[in-house]
Amino acid sequence: MGLESVKKYACSAWNSEGRKELPKWAYRKLSSIRTSIYVLCLMALSFMVGTVFPQGESYEEYEKAGGKFLFFVSAFDLLEFFSSPLFLLLAVVFSLNLAICVLERYKALFVRRTFPKLFKPTKSFLLTHDRGHSHEDVRAALKSMKFRVADKDGDWVVMEKGLPYKWLTWAYHAGIVVCLFGVLLTFLFAFEEMMTLKPGEPQTIAPESTGLVQSIWQDKAAPSDFHLVLDKFTTEYTEAPELVYPDDKKARAAIGLGWQGLSHELKDDSLFAKDWWASLRAVAGGATIAEKKIEINDPLELEGYTIYLLGFEQELKLMVDGNPLLIDAKADSEVMLPNAATISFGTLRSGTATRVDGKEEEFTPYVTVRKTDSTGDPAILRLGDSVIVDNVTVTLAGFTESAILSYRYDPGVGVLWAGGLVVLLAVALRFYGAYYLIAYKVDDSDDIVHLSVHVTTKGLLADKQKLLNRLEARLTENDIKPVPLPSI
Amino acid sequence: MPLDSILSRDSFLLMAELRLFWLVAAFYAFSLILHLFHVFSRGESAGKTANTLLWVGAVIHVGLITLRTFETGRAPFQTLYESLSFFACSAVLTYLFVSRRWKGIYLPGTLVAALAFGACMYALLSRSPAIEPLSPPLQSWWFEWHVVLAFFSYAVFIVSAAVEISYLAVKPLLKSGDGQYGFRADMLEDFHGTALRLVLFGFPLLTFAIFSGAAWANVAWGRYWSWDPKETWSLITWTVFTLYLHSKAIPSMRGTPASVFNILGFICMLMTFLGVNWLAKLLGIPSMHVYAV
Repeated sequence: MGLESVKKYACSAWNSEGRKELPKWAYRKLSSIRTSIYVLCLMALSFMVGTVFPQGESYEEYEKAGGKFLFFVSAFDLLEFFSSPLFLLLAVVFSLNLAICVLERYKALFVRRTFPKLFKPTKSFLLTHDRGHSHEDVRAALKSMKFRVADKDGDWVVMEKGLPYKWLTWAYHAGIVVCLFGVLLTFLFAFEEMMTLKPGEPQTIAPESTGLVQSIWQDKAAPSDFHLVLDKFTTEYTEAPELVYPDDKKARAAIGLGWQGLSHELKDDSLFAKDWWASLRAVAGGATIAEKKIEINDPLELEGYTIYLLGFEQELKLMVDGNPLLIDAKADSEVMLPNAATISFGTLRSGTATRVDGKEEEFTPYVTVRKTDSTGDPAILRLGDSVIVDNVTVTLAGFTESAILSYRYDPGVGVLWAGGLVVLLAVALRFYGAYYLIAYKVDDSDDIVHLSVHVTTKGLLADKQKLLNRLEARLTENDIKPVPLPSI
Repeated sequence: MPLDSILSRDSFLLMAELRLFWLVAAFYAFSLILHLFHVFSRGESAGKTANTLLWVGAVIHVGLITLRTFETGRAPFQTLYESLSFFACSAVLTYLFVSRRWKGIYLPGTLVAALAFGACMYALLSRSPAIEPLSPPLQSWWFEWHVVLAFFSYAVFIVSAAVEISYLAVKPLLKSGDGQYGFRADMLEDFHGTALRLVLFGFPLLTFAIFSGAAWANVAWGRYWSWDPKETWSLITWTVFTLYLHSKAIPSMRGTPASVFNILGFICMLMTFLGVNWLAKLLGIPSMHVYAV
């Protein structure tokens, strides 16, 4: 799409003739591979822009963090670049280009193929039989090698074998169009939110938002007609010894050269959460309609929603100086004690642990605790035990674990996977599979019968030399006694 | 077995592994030095020895990765330390496999040896070799498929770029008519064709790696695409290799422009694997691929 031609059409678009021509010109341009190359270049550049600026950050946060190019960031919506008008416009042009190319290539699939009148021979053989006999023998040999006739009307007979590469090329482009349609469905209709589900406190899915299209007629999606119940939250740990390894590069080199040793140590709190599950139940009208122990990588799908386990939240029940009034505190947070220092809690550990020696055991739940301003190792506070901080006794009296869930409605996923499957299959078959086109001619113009063969291949598994060797072997089997001539 | 014995055994195995890894890095380093000597002297013997050293390094490296797999009891590419090792080994193995076709040509090995050595040194000096349990998001059968295919495509793209760069370097030298670096004028185009064939081989792998990553993200994070920097750079890499393949279909772009796209694709691949971590750290952009950082 040269700049001159753009100028020419931009100028002529003002007259009526130009207005008629413009759509045709645009269609023609959008169906060319050259345009695809320009659009793909712009797409790649736009993707790069999206990785340079922190997506989703507010303008104020960006400015506060010392962000630069404020004018451009604001003008081009660079902090929400992938939903900005500029990017969406580019995505529309890309989609149009791809869709039009797919349509045009589809039409081309049904156009009768034409072959050149002359082919440059890949290999030539001298034959011992007469022309007619040789011609029949060559065709029979190729047919026995599963070749089918593509054109027999010219001087050269054209035969082919293998996967229909033109269809495959079209199929993976069409598959990408289907994927883009899936992405469009996601963009228009999908929404997701989070919820914290506590044990013994059923909740309905009550979104505060909805998809882009649904937002035209409703502010938020309707609540679900089922309740979610968290029956149990389970965590499994494994004991992970810590490697004592220096940060200094020279010391690391010394270990590698055997000048220094290496060791592992087991600390008081060396448990690593290797897995966690939430036993969920969906209840509607008093009956359980679904039940699943969900974990990361294994969500629950129910009535259009996919419910994921994102993490967990732990609430500690603390007794201070024996006071029966318990204080609620969150794990991984700070708590200001009455008349004492602020203390920081770590993550509460509860469940079963696999020890270094392979033994599994259920352990007493505990949480690490330290004075916020101290730098020493934290203390371990077990369930029912106490620690004394600035003469204040803190007892871990209990805890609850809640599941942090996200739920998502996304009608585009299925479409995307269907398109993706087509893309993967077609790409693999087209790129790896073998396709051969062979054109041959038996000639006796110099009173010597010779066979000229031209071979074209597609796909990485296609082996031109192997095919020629096989052909020679077949012809020999048929007693045609081919004598290879030097390549031209 | 008593706890102390278990810890001592683990330390001993890790120590042995580290020493082997340093040995592998040394082989790659010597191979790189000899490859560079080959580049400047154009002597065949230096190239041949460099190639042999690469072979020896690769054999030990395979043993090292096998040892790591037994030590960890899982696929050996969870942490960046492991990924760098796997990256280097797969690139060298792919190069050695592909280069069997070329007799007396060692030039492309320079880039491969440099990358392998660089990756090994980065792992050894900047990353911890500690064996970490597999975190819950990684406990998925997509983990092996996604990572293996991505690394396999990376390895293929590295060799393709090495061929492309060698071709661009040698082409003007061959105009004089003499053989250069083991090349003859009649074999140059076939050699260059290897770069395209490698991209044709790697492109479906990268496509599958991106799709499998999206499928995995969909079940683990609740959305198949988050415009995370790593995801976006993998899409950029894919787009650039798409550009390369399309430019091969246009006669006027088949030459230098296509070669430029191939080399750009290789740079984008490096950005996807490593550069994006640096970029995210430099610009303070959060990444969901924290375990790969």
